[in-house]
Amino acid sequence: MLKMQNISKVYQTDSVQTHALRDFSLEVKEGEFIAVTGPSGSGKTTFLNMAGILEPFTSGHYSLDGIDVGGLSDNQRADLRNQKIGFIFQGFNLIPDLSLFENVEVPLRYRGVPAKERKKRIEECLEQVGLASRAKHLPQQLSGGQQQRVAIARALAGKPRFLLADEPTGNLDTLMARQVMELLEEINRNGATIVMVTHDPELARRAPRNIQVVDGQLADFTLYQGVPEASQPVVDTRIKAEV
Amino acid sequence: MLLHYIDLSWRSIRNTPVISFLMVFAIAIGIGITMTSLSVYHMMSMDPIPHKSDKIHYVQLQIMDEGNEWNTDDNLPRQLTYQDAVNLYNADIDVLSSPSFRTGFSVHLNTPDVKPRMEQARLVNKEFFDIFERPFIFGGAWTKDDQDNKPYVVVISKSVNERLFNGENSIGKEIFLDNKSYRVVGVTEDWEHHVKYYDVNNGAFNPAEALYIPFAIAPLEEIGTWGNMNGWKLEQMRGYQDLIISEKVWTQFWVQLNTPKQKEEYGRFLMAYMEDQKSRGRFQREELIYSLRNVNEWLAYNEVISEDNRILVALSFMFLMVCVANILGLLLAKFLKRAPEVGIRRALGASKQQIFLQHIVEVSVIGFSGGLLGIAIAQLGLWGVRETNSYYNALATMDVSMLLAAPAIALLASFVAGLYPAWLVCKTQPAIYLKSQ
Repeated sequence: MLKMQNISKVYQTDSVQTHALRDFSLEVKEGEFIAVTGPSGSGKTTFLNMAGILEPFTSGHYSLDGIDVGGLSDNQRADLRNQKIGFIFQGFNLIPDLSLFENVEVPLRYRGVPAKERKKRIEECLEQVGLASRAKHLPQQLSGGQQQRVAIARALAGKPRFLLADEPTGNLDTLMARQVMELLEEINRNGATIVMVTHDPELARRAPRNIQVVDGQLADFTLYQGVPEASQPVVDTRIKAEV
Repeated sequence: MLLHYIDLSWRSIRNTPVISFLMVFAIAIGIGITMTSLSVYHMMSMDPIPHKSDKIHYVQLQIMDEGNEWNTDDNLPRQLTYQDAVNLYNADIDVLSSPSFRTGFSVHLNTPDVKPRMEQARLVNKEFFDIFERPFIFGGAWTKDDQDNKPYVVVISKSVNERLFNGENSIGKEIFLDNKSYRVVGVTEDWEHHVKYYDVNNGAFNPAEALYIPFAIAPLEEIGTWGNMNGWKLEQMRGYQDLIISEKVWTQFWVQLNTPKQKEEYGRFLMAYMEDQKSRGRFQREELIYSLRNVNEWLAYNEVISEDNRILVALSFMFLMVCVANILGLLLAKFLKRAPEVGIRRALGASKQQIFLQHIVEVSVIGFSGGLLGIAIAQLGLWGVRETNSYYNALATMDVSMLLAAPAIALLASFVAGLYPAWLVCKTQPAIYLKSQ
């Protein structure tokens, strides 16, 4: 599904170079649910931006669903995001002026889905997250947990095969976080591949596969089985112990 | 998708009513000022008789002896002498032509019921009505026989007919011009031209005359001109007979020449006429010169649209540009504030073009609204022009083309203002804003 090989991302400001990712390699198979952990500033969000094709990488090779991302134009990247990827953000990132229905509609409009089909799909997605009755409400009329469910409905609307979640429960209380996590697990069971960045060890434990990003490099607990130890990245033992 | 963008624009305008109103008002003021000056300019410069302006020609002759100067670029007098006008009209050449000059009379019915009123009149020959396609409500132009033998006939305008005869068919009735009785042979529609192109010598934007009588009346009643009269040499004037054989220029002469060949032939005729006059002691100069200018060439020659008019239009467009610059600043502030939302849209699959189009549509909605409000302001401006100077009554108005041009110019102006802000916001990198939302 996702294959990153030696991806590097360097931010250049004046004469200072910041290496956000260094030789980052990762393969995610279809239907996997991966939790990405790591300390603040380790490069988790940069990895997510790369995976979500939200910004270009400096070097390396990245293919998503067999498509070489590196060679795509800006518009092709936008199209690929729209077709293949669903995003769930910590801050929900709903458009405040649009109703729940219209928020979920956004990716479908850019995809050019006919109105009738859009309506059907939006109603299904809002139903799935339990907010069908509030379709005409504005985001600010909902609680944080409800807003995140709308964001999930929006991510699901385009039937993406790949879901990227950046701290999806970061702004939610425990109960709501659990509900959102259950929803993500259900989505994963239905076939979607999910990569979730989280600081929450409990949530990370619920994901079948955990990886850790440290100093822009990957530490994977499962992927490197069979790979000579010398070639394996350093593993954060604190997280490993919890797993 | 366009309707969706219009919907988003409307929501955005509603969400930011103050800044949106400022932008609409700025463009409306700019359009209002621009359209006021542009409408007047447009009316001044439009072809007054587009389907035959290239066929109707104004005749000028170089009547001055060698060594004399006239105050025109080509040194040609703007009008003709009475004798030349009569000679050219009476010449044996198969064209529609007419001499003309402006005068005026006290018009009445010689009864106590209708008060006398001063009206402007024009002395012309019957061909004048054909050349300038004057439509008749009743009757028509006088006949050749009337013109030659019974010239006390008159064509009156609809307004005069309303005043004197309550708009009824007045053909055959008598009216008095000063103390002389004339028989009404025709009633024309009022001539509501923007430019008095057939006589720019006496105020290019003055209203049309209300009466027309045969040119042959002039010597009979010794009718003087209400227009300009100029001369180039000292002449003794003891009476009207001296005037009509003098070298004073005070008549206009129009001829309809339908083809280039006909124009060429008429040119040869004019040259032959001048040679003949030279042999009779006039036009004492080496090179004989004539000019045949069509309507638009004649208007340009007389600089009917002055440089001042052009400068005024240019200044009003500069003012519009100032408004555009202000709108640009407001749009920049508004659009850049929306960058986080654009980041979300870009992350969800919007292309740069889609984001650009969304914002250009919003700018266009603002521009179109400003254009409509600008038309109202322009109408107010034109009303002000009409109220302050009746000379511009026919000009200070917006025709359909200007009504359509106003929103088009507003759209263009807003597009210019919105281009940079829309381009800037469409370049938004989604990753920058998603985390900070």
